[in-house]
This record gives sequence, structure tokens and C-alpha cells, in this order.
Amino acid sequence: MRPINHTAPKRSAAPVFWLLFGAGGMLSALFGPALIILTGFMIPHGWGLPATFGDFPHVLAFARHPLGKLVVLAVIALFVWHGAERMFLTLKDMRAGKPRLLRLVTYGVAGLLTLVTASLLLAIGF
Amino acid sequence: MSDTIASSKTIELRVLRYRPASDAEPVFVSYRVPYTDDMSVLQALQSIKDTQDGSLSFRWSCRMAICGSCGMMINGEPKLACNTFVRDLTPNAAVIEPLQNFPIERDLVVTVGDFVKKIESIYPYLMPKVPKPIEDGTYLQTPAQMTSYESFSDCINCMLCYAACPQFGANPDFIGPGAMALLQRYNGDSRDGGQQFRLDRIHGEDGVWACTAVGVCSEVCPKQVDPANAINQNKTNSALDFFLRYVRREQP
Amino acid sequence: MSERRPFHRLQPRHWWAHKPYRAYTVRELSGVAVAVYGAILLVGLFCLWRGQDAYAVYRRILASDWSFVVHAVLLAAVLWHVVTWFEILPKTMPKLILRGRQLPQRQVTAMGLLIALVCSAALLVVVVAIGAMS
Repeated sequence: MRPINHTAPKRSAAPVFWLLFGAGGMLSALFGPALIILTGFMIPHGWGLPATFGDFPHVLAFARHPLGKLVVLAVIALFVWHGAERMFLTLKDMRAGKPRLLRLVTYGVAGLLTLVTASLLLAIGF
Repeated sequence: MSDTIASSKTIELRVLRYRPASDAEPVFVSYRVPYTDDMSVLQALQSIKDTQDGSLSFRWSCRMAICGSCGMMINGEPKLACNTFVRDLTPNAAVIEPLQNFPIERDLVVTVGDFVKKIESIYPYLMPKVPKPIEDGTYLQTPAQMTSYESFSDCINCMLCYAACPQFGANPDFIGPGAMALLQRYNGDSRDGGQQFRLDRIHGEDGVWACTAVGVCSEVCPKQVDPANAINQNKTNSALDFFLRYVRREQP
Repeated sequence: MSERRPFHRLQPRHWWAHKPYRAYTVRELSGVAVAVYGAILLVGLFCLWRGQDAYAVYRRILASDWSFVVHAVLLAAVLWHVVTWFEILPKTMPKLILRGRQLPQRQVTAMGLLIALVCSAALLVVVVAIGAMS
């Protein structure tokens, strides 16, 4: 028994960005506070950690390790995509511009920063 | 109904009037209404219509928060007039306006045609998964199965959620919370097999993706339907379908 | 019917700044703070790539008072993100029926917050342990 076939509305590409937003939101909800405490307070001031913890050789070694690269890419990229979606929607709420332009700016910056992150991680070597 | 109210308590109601034949735009008119502690705003409006200005127009029917007719803005919040009491609004003047985000037909009456079309567009009827002839008996459903969609079936189509939704205010083509609640009432029903047909209606920018999870729709609902839940769980469904449609088998 | 002239009231331009939508706007901005923090990490990665000297400058700035305040603000914002995230999370899920009764949404929120606490605490413990062993 098929119902009347109305023309189905055109699919939105929003799911792609919503899933990125969701992944970034979950990752930042679970680990965000700890990451900020670590990189913003403990490592710079040596609280609870050796003063040399954040030294150039250590951090470089972390960024050179394949797992380290994965962590850094996931954190930066997903955090940035999460913020981009929220920024897009907030700017749209505020009627800061045409949605197409707002998408270009917010998603564009997120995409660019993701590429930059990946490139830097490759350039740092293994 | 007590026609003569002995109490000397009165309240000022500032009502946004609009008479298309004579008014260029809506205008506030003040009425002083005697009230008793058990009076609803609906009764106050009826008192105005009966004793002060017979031209005041507003929708109402059941007087008991089940028909969904008397939705309006009371002091800036979408409420049912029959379910809002004058005693809670005093002593200041109460501001009564038609439901936000809808065009005003006249006084407190708004245009509802588009809402009705949205309800109709999501196949608001059971499409049995396994059609059963009457001789085979009724469709069976456990209480747990009913619980999973029951709240969505409580919707009285009062449209307070549409008044509360700023995304609907920005985009009148957004399918909106009420229609999505009805959609989920069927998609969540264990007897139903029409999930994909309904999902196909809401994949677009005017479907679930216009929602930004503001959540005020569920806060103002007089029946605890939780339309925000209906919409947002379908974002998950729509997102999964976006990728899984390539491996889905076609419906016969 | 010939008198029909529906009047369209315009949505207030600043609806997002007034009740009851202010809380929603604050919630969204807390999500933007997540990206700001991500960008700070990216700057660190860039300085790392540039080499010892650039990285030393980055470390010095991170140890400054200015950075302390910025990170304190970001931490507050991200904590708000955590709380509001788990408040919305149950809305994106179908009703969970356990033993015939619906699991209340606030329980899903509470469980999520607990898991977040455990995850962040675990990360801190692991990092401190690595620091102690090195």
C-alpha cells in the first residue's frame, strides 16, 4: 500500500556538519575540562607535573608519534568543527548575513584549520 | 455561570486588537474586567465579549485544555487561555496578544492553514508493518511499546510550541515541533511500517535541520509532549539515513 | 472572507538576546569557546613546527597572567558546555524503556555528567602518572 508520492523535499547536507558537531561536542564534553586544565594551567606552571613536561623535545616526540598525531588531529579538528557549527547557527540567528555566506566563512575556516593541522602534523615528521 | 460578579476586584487586560476592515495594523485596547479567584483568562475574554465589546474575536471550545483552540500570548508567553488564571496575573495589567509567529487574521485569531498542511504532510495515520485482515484479530502491543511513543500522541495541536520556536519565527516553512511530534507518534509505534516515508519528508532545510535545539517548545507544551525530543531524535535518524541510504533496500 | 488581510508581525531582530532565548544563546557561545581553545592548541602546533625558538615564545605566553585569565574563562565556558551538552543529549535519543518504565531524561543527563567527570579525571590521573614516572 504505497501512500501518495508527494515530491520529497530536497535533502540537506546538514547531517555531515551535524555529525562533526556531535563528535566534537562529545569529545570536548568528556575531555575538554581536563585538556584545558592540563595545557592551560598544569603544564605551563608545572603544577602536579615536572617542570620539563611541556619541553620542546617531549612535545615534539608526542607530535611525531602516530598515536600522538591522531590525538592532536582529532582534538583540534573536531573542536574546531564543533565551534564552527555553533558559530554558523548563532550568526544565522543574529541574521549576520546570508546563510550561504555564513556557511562559507564558518565551515571554510574550520576546513582550512583542519588542513593546516594535518599539514603541520605531517611536516613535523615521524 | 455567575453573570453578576459581586467582587470589586478588577484587572486591566491590554488586548492586541486587529480588525482588517478598519485597522491598518494591530492596536492595543485596554479593558477593565472584574474577576474572581477561579476565573481563567478565557473567562475574562468572554466577559469582555459579553459585556464590553462584542466584536472581540478569539478561538475557544472545551474550556479544559484538551481542544487546543485558545492558544495565545499572555504576558509574552504562549499559553492556553482556559488554563491560565487571572489571579496569577494580578495586580499588574495583563498583556494579551495572538499567538506569536503566526499571521493575525483578526484580534486573537491567527492563520492555521499552513500548520494543518504540515500535519497532513507527514502521513498522520498508521501504515501497518504487516497488514492484518480483521478476521486475524487486533494488532498487539505491549505497554512498554506504547510508552515509547505515548507522549507524542498527547498533542492537542494547540501550536504553543510554534509560538515558542524562534526558528519557526524566522522560517515559516519549518515543519515545526507539533508536526514532528505527530510524525514520531507514528514512527515510534511498533505497529507502523511507514518510517521511511515519513523520514523522507523531513530530510530538508525546512525539515528537522531547521531546528537548533532551542528547546523552549517542550517547555511551553501544556501536555508534556516533548516535541524537542521528537525533532532531535529524528536528526539522528536523518543523519544515519544520509549515509545508510546507499545500502538501504528499496521499498517494494 | 473578503475582509481577509492577515497581518504579519515581524520577528524581533534581537530575539536571541531576550528571555527565554538568552540561555540558548549562551549555550551556543559556550560551544564556540571549544573552538577557540582548539585554535590555541593549533597555534602551539604551529610554533612546535617552527622550532625551538618559536615554541619557547609560545610557552612563555602560556605561562603569562594574560593566558591564565583566558584559560580560566575558557574553562568556565567549556564547563558550561559540558553541563548543557548532557542536558540536550537525551533529546537526541529515543525514549529509553527499562522494565516497562521510561528512563527519565535527567537520569541520562546525570549518567553523562558522571562519565564526563570520570573521563576528565582519568586523563588527568594518567598524565600525572606519566609525569611522575618520567
